[in-house]
This record gives sequence, C-alpha cells and structure tokens, in this order.
Amino acid sequence: MAEVIHKNNKPLQVNPFKLSQPMGATLAFLGVDSCMPLMHGGQGCTSFSKVFFTRHFCEPIAIQTTAVTDAIAVLDGGAYSIVESVKNITQKVTPSLIGLHTTGLPETKGDDVAGVARQIDFPLVHVNTPDYEGGLESGWAKTCKAMIEQLAAPSEGVNDNKLVLLPHVSLQPIEVEKIKQFIESFGFNVFALPDLSTSLDGHLGDKQAALSSGGISVEDIQSLADAGLVVTVGDSMQGCAKALQAKNAEMRHYHFPHLSGLEATDSLAEALLAETGFSSPPPAVSRWRLRLQDAMLDSHFSLGQSRFLVVAEPDQLAGICQSLHDAGGRVALAISPVNSSQLQKVVAEKVIVGDLEDAENMAEEYDVIVGNYHCEALAHRQGKGLVLRGFPNWEQVGNALKNDVLYEGGCYLLFEAANTASSCREVKHV
Amino acid sequence: MATKPKIKDLLDESACSHNKVRKVACNAPKPGATTGGCAFEGAQISLFPYADAAHLVHGPMTCLGASWETRATGTSWRGRDLTQVGFTTDVTLNDVVFSGEEKLTKAIDYIMQHYAPQAVFVYATCVTALIGDDIDLICKQAAQKYGVPMVPVHAAGFVGSKNLGSRLGGEAVLSHLIGTREPEKTTPFDINLIGEYNVTGDMWQYTPLLEELGIRVLSTLSGDGRIADIRTAHRAKLNVIVCAKSLVSLTRKMEERYGIPSISLSFYGKRDTSKGLLAIAEAFGDADLILQTKALIAREEAALEQKLAPYKVFFQGKKAVLNTGGNKTWSIAAALQDLGIEVVATAVKKATEDDREKARQTLGDRGVLMMNPGAEQAKLIDETGADLLLAGGRSLYTAIKKGIAFADVNQEKKKSYGGYNGLLNLGEDLKNALLNPVFKNVARRAPWQK
Repeated sequence: MAEVIHKNNKPLQVNPFKLSQPMGATLAFLGVDSCMPLMHGGQGCTSFSKVFFTRHFCEPIAIQTTAVTDAIAVLDGGAYSIVESVKNITQKVTPSLIGLHTTGLPETKGDDVAGVARQIDFPLVHVNTPDYEGGLESGWAKTCKAMIEQLAAPSEGVNDNKLVLLPHVSLQPIEVEKIKQFIESFGFNVFALPDLSTSLDGHLGDKQAALSSGGISVEDIQSLADAGLVVTVGDSMQGCAKALQAKNAEMRHYHFPHLSGLEATDSLAEALLAETGFSSPPPAVSRWRLRLQDAMLDSHFSLGQSRFLVVAEPDQLAGICQSLHDAGGRVALAISPVNSSQLQKVVAEKVIVGDLEDAENMAEEYDVIVGNYHCEALAHRQGKGLVLRGFPNWEQVGNALKNDVLYEGGCYLLFEAANTASSCREVKHV
Repeated sequence: MATKPKIKDLLDESACSHNKVRKVACNAPKPGATTGGCAFEGAQISLFPYADAAHLVHGPMTCLGASWETRATGTSWRGRDLTQVGFTTDVTLNDVVFSGEEKLTKAIDYIMQHYAPQAVFVYATCVTALIGDDIDLICKQAAQKYGVPMVPVHAAGFVGSKNLGSRLGGEAVLSHLIGTREPEKTTPFDINLIGEYNVTGDMWQYTPLLEELGIRVLSTLSGDGRIADIRTAHRAKLNVIVCAKSLVSLTRKMEERYGIPSISLSFYGKRDTSKGLLAIAEAFGDADLILQTKALIAREEAALEQKLAPYKVFFQGKKAVLNTGGNKTWSIAAALQDLGIEVVATAVKKATEDDREKARQTLGDRGVLMMNPGAEQAKLIDETGADLLLAGGRSLYTAIKKGIAFADVNQEKKKSYGGYNGLLNLGEDLKNALLNPVFKNVARRAPWQK
C-alpha cells in the first residue's frame, strides 16, 4: 500500500473536484420516494446543486431552499426560514418527507435546526451538513444515518430474508440496482437506503414530478430495523450500519469497502453463500464471473502498459484502483478530495488528498485519467486518455446507467479503460 | 468599507423603467418557494469571462465546487484561460472560528506566484461575509504588494438574486478598474460592450462587422475581456449594453462621471442585429458611418437571406409555442420569425413590463401572451396546431403527449445563436428537432398497455 500524502501546505484549492456536504445530503434525500430535499441556506447553494445534478442525470431535480437573506441571517435562528419553507412547500405539494439539510451559512450563525425541526408537524428529517466540513461522501452518509436515526422504528427479532443495503454516494443508479439484484438472486428481500436505482435511473415518467419520483418509501425506512442483515458498501457507510444496529441488536452486519473487481465480488458472493447455505450461486452470477475473468485477460495487455491517474471520492477511488490493478493497470497516482480511512487501502503508487492542479503538476506520471468532467481540460492540455467517472459528468449522457460494479460491471470498466488507453497510444504514435 | 456598494441604492435604479411605475422589492425570495441563483452567481456571470484575471472565491466548497467550468465563454486571450481555472480558499471550520483572512492573503500570494494574472477578483460569499473577513483591506494590501489590481467583490449569495449580483460585479469594476489607466490611443468611434459575456462566442458573430465599420471595441464587461482594456473604459464615446438589464446602474454612473452616453440593444436574430448595428452608428450621429452601416446591413442581410432560403422553405407554415422568461420571451420569438416560423404564443409570466410590451409588438395582435403557461400551453398547441414547443425541460412531457417536436431553450448552448450567422445555427437545430421522430416514437404505448 502506498503512503497517503496529506500535503496541504496550499492555502487554496485550484481546479477543485471536491464537492460539498450539502450536495451529498441532497442526493441522499433524492433516493427517497416523493421527498422534497430542503437546503437551509442562501438560495444559490440550492440553485447550483439543482443545476449540477440536473446536468449530470439529465433529469429534473426536486429541491427547495430556505432562501436565507442577509437581513434574515441576522435576525432569525432558523425558525422563520424553515417553518415558512415547510408551509410554502406543503401549500403546493404533499411530500412524503421533507429532507432538511444545512449549509455553511446557518451553521456559522449557529441555527438550532434540531430544535426548529421538533416544532414542525410534518414528516421531516434534519441533518447538519455545513459545507466547510467533509465532502460529498460524508454529506450522503450523514443523511442516510439521520434518516435511520429519525425514521426507523426500533425492532426486536429479525426477518432472516430481509437485507438492508447501504450504498456509498458514488454508486450510480444502475450500480445500486445491480447490487440489489445480485443479492436478491440469492433469495433475499433487499431494501437500499438511499435508493437512486428507482428515482434517478433516467426513466420516462407520466409527467414531471415536483418531488423525487421513485426511491425507497418512507414506510420502508420506518420498518428497516427488522432486517436480519445489513450490508454496507463503502467505508463512509459504516456509521449508518451502526445506527441501524442500534435499533435492533440482533441485526448482523457485513461490510465491503467496495464491490469492484473479482476479489471484492467474490467476498460478497461468499458471504451470501454462507448466509443461505447454498453450495453455488445462481447460474447468471457464475457466468458473469467467467466473463470477468476473460475480460481481465482480454484487457491486461493494454492495461499492463498504461499508467493511470484516478481521481474520485474515497470509496469509489478504492474500487476503481483495485479493478485496474487486478488486470495489470498501474495506478501511478490516486487523488481524493478529502481524507478517509479508505485511503490507506487504495492500491496505488501514490495516494494524495488534493486537487486537479496537483494532478497537473504530476502529469508526467500517468497516461490515462479516470475522473470527472473537470478532468477533461486537463486531459486535453496534457494529451491524456480520459475515462469519465464520478460527479459531475456534464460531457456525456447515460451516466445513470454506467455500471462498474460486481463481476458484470467490472467487465465494462476494464474494457473501457483498456480501449481508451489503446486509442490514446495510437493517437500519440501517429 | 468605503468600497462596499449600497445595495438599497442598487435596487432602486432610476434607469429602470419599472421603478417609475411601481416599487416592488424584486429581491425578496420566499422561503421554500424560490428558484434561481444568488448574488454570487450573478457576479460570477458578469466577471468570470475576464480570462486574464484570477477569480478567487473566498468561501466553502459549494460556491465554486458546483459552479466552475459551467459557462462556455469564449476568449482569444493567449495566456492560460483563467475563466476556466477554479480558485477557492475552501474555508474550513478552523477558518470559520479563527477567521479566513490569513488563508486568503496566502491564497492571493500563491496565485500571483504561480499564475501571474493581470488582476485578482476576490469574491466574498455568505460564510466569509458573515464571519466578517475584511476582503477590502486584504485586496488593498495585495494590490500594493504586487502592483496589479485586486478587486473585492461584495456579492455574497445571501444579499440577493443573480441580477443584483451582476450589478454588484459591475460596481466592483467601476470602483476598482474603470478609469485607472489611459488608453494608448483613442478613436472617434470607441465603444464599451457592457453585459456581453461571449457565451459560445456570441460576440464574435458581430464584432468583425463593427471592426469593418471602424467602430472600435475599446473594452468589454466582460466577454473576451481584458483587464488592461476595462481600466481604460472611461475614454469610450459610447456604452453599448447588450441584453443585460442588470448593468444599467453601471452605465448610468459612467454617464454621470465620464459623460459617456449609453444605448441598450440585442444581437439576437436578423432584425435585432441590424437594428443594433444601426443604433450604434446613429448614436455617434456620423452621417458617413450611418451610410456605411446601412450598406453593410444590406449586404449582410442579402447574404443571410440567401443562406436562409432553404430553411424558410422548410419552416413555411410551421407554428411554434414559446415558453421562457425575461428578454427571451420576445428576442427568441423575433429570431423564430426571422426563420419564417409563426410564433403563436409566448409566455410572459416571468417577464418585466418592458419585455411584455416588446413581446406584444413582436407577436402582433393574434399572438397569445401566456400569463400561466403551465396550464395554457397544452391547450394552445391543440387550438393552433403548433408543430414545435420551445421551453424548459419541464415542458418536455407536454410536447410528448401532444406528439410535437420539442427544443429545450434552457439547454446549455454549444454553438452561438447570436448575430446574423447564429440564426443559421438556430435554424439548423430547429430543423433537426422538427425532423426528429423521437418525440412521436417515445410516446408509443407498450404492447401491454391499453
């Protein structure tokens, strides 16, 4: 394992790919059916986040703002803006849940959001997600935890067939669906929290909904705690599993740092076999395993001569680096926007907490970049190949259906990375 | 705090026609029922196009993290395009508690050492404004240290809307840049382009024509702009405001301070482009220039008409419903008419009094001005037999239900629709929309649905 470098002698971020905590919170609430995420702060945070996710998913994004102004900021402890917002939202629509999350502004002035939330007679979950702390991943995880703590009813006794899946923020809707289906194929009844696989999966609805359309229902969140098993994918989600177990001491927990590549998927299959007592998985699972083995061999030649820069949120970073490494890709540099326990596990020659200026300064060290839209200009300037992954991807359509996980998605990721690496070598040799 | 503009004054702009009729606090957002960007975004829109200046956002991660590299503003600056480089102090809890001033100072040092920009704009945001970081002082000290302009921009998100933020951006330029340098030479026909941001290169559709007429663009705020040029803007003979109501305060003040008159126009569609060019010439009152401009307009219109001919044949008898806001309610309508499309209705719900008047003039007596487009547009499509709906993504479902073509007016443009030739781009895109069978095909019922 590489040493994690937390340089940060830089007083600023240049070309940041770090994203904020409240945006992670918004996204988590969008994985709940008929929810209205309500961001507590100035109107711009909400507007930026709405446009950001609309462009990434090519879908309408439900979100509202408490629209704090400078005058209100001085006088109000949140009671006015939040209560007024709930009133105005519920005049027009009837959400199953209002997802109240904060930004830096109300946190700086010390609004008592929990206190205000208690006065509100409407289904509401509140979470503190100032954007001067953490990042996208922690905002999503905190929100998931808050939903469990504030909604799930305590339970005794377990339903052995019921399994709760807690996916990290960087898993795209189809990836959440594939993990659910994988587990379901072993006979489990799976509930994902949050569940983007039925909300932001890019389906044509009857009309444009003003609320999130799809996702886990509030009733299902309320009754999560009778599940026999909870599965976390991504280190960021471990706290959520603890919160769920606090509602029911009998629930057992399986943790997977990621589900990318042969070994990680094997460990999930192994756990599910052990739980079910089956001697072998469903035929489709073993077939996809054979395909991944073949994909690793087919792509190894190109990957084996390529050096990669991978830029991603920590949980996704760990998965992508492992997948590439397993088929011979040399991850020369891995960059995370924030610190995480996960970084110690990232398979790369160098792991840093940094920005895309750092990436540019080390451009000699890699040939192909795996990262978000902001890597495009870098790839162009430095003549690198680019595999677009992570938030945001404003350049391409179809993001919700990009699948890198389990045996199946592993094939697609390796093929795309190998093909990108080959074509950028060809361009250079001409 | 002397450089801090008075927001109340900016909201009560005497040059705004609606302020003569009624006083409405158009900046009070309703909690839980607000859309649209904040003042910081407005400042960003109006100032970020200066590609030779660094834009340092002093705030936490949402402000810049979610917004950089979102606008395709073209530049011919040969150095690194700093519009597309994100700089933020990314303030942390520690900064919130102990002040972010030291970090900001160091960030400016870092930028000067590594990027050597022509100026640094420092943007306050909600959090750093609330904790009281003194960006005026820090900018002043840094300007002395480096000898380049350091411009504090007091447009924290919570002071108001995007529009107000653009005005505040203009105020910052007026206080810190305009009039701080003399141009090497002046010409009788020097203009400033105000509020033209050169999104997708819009400006380059018409600036070559200005050049041909001998009209010199002395400076811009801020499309393809240069800091060195905007510093000399006080020597222009005319301010040309392009499609931007937010900067009328700036041009009024420039008129008071420097005696520069201003005109407001648009370069969207054939008629507006022609009218715009002529308006500039007429503002100078030079008979030769006017004649020359008229000749140029005749030449360009003839050339355009020739290229438009096949489109006009294609669009003959085609009807469109337009659902958008602001000046687009009439400017897009006029462009559609230039293409030979009949605009049967346009939404005016999100338009000012001025815009509504212009929409009425553009559409004529028969056209419908929709006050409640959400409810009205479906009915109007049926009644008028419209072939095309131009609207925001929200209305896509209406088009699919009616089985007609749809064009997203809010979609990020990839190519320019401005000037004479931009009309050809618009024509091509709309022709493709009308020819595309997708809107009918996706509406096909599944075999298991009745």
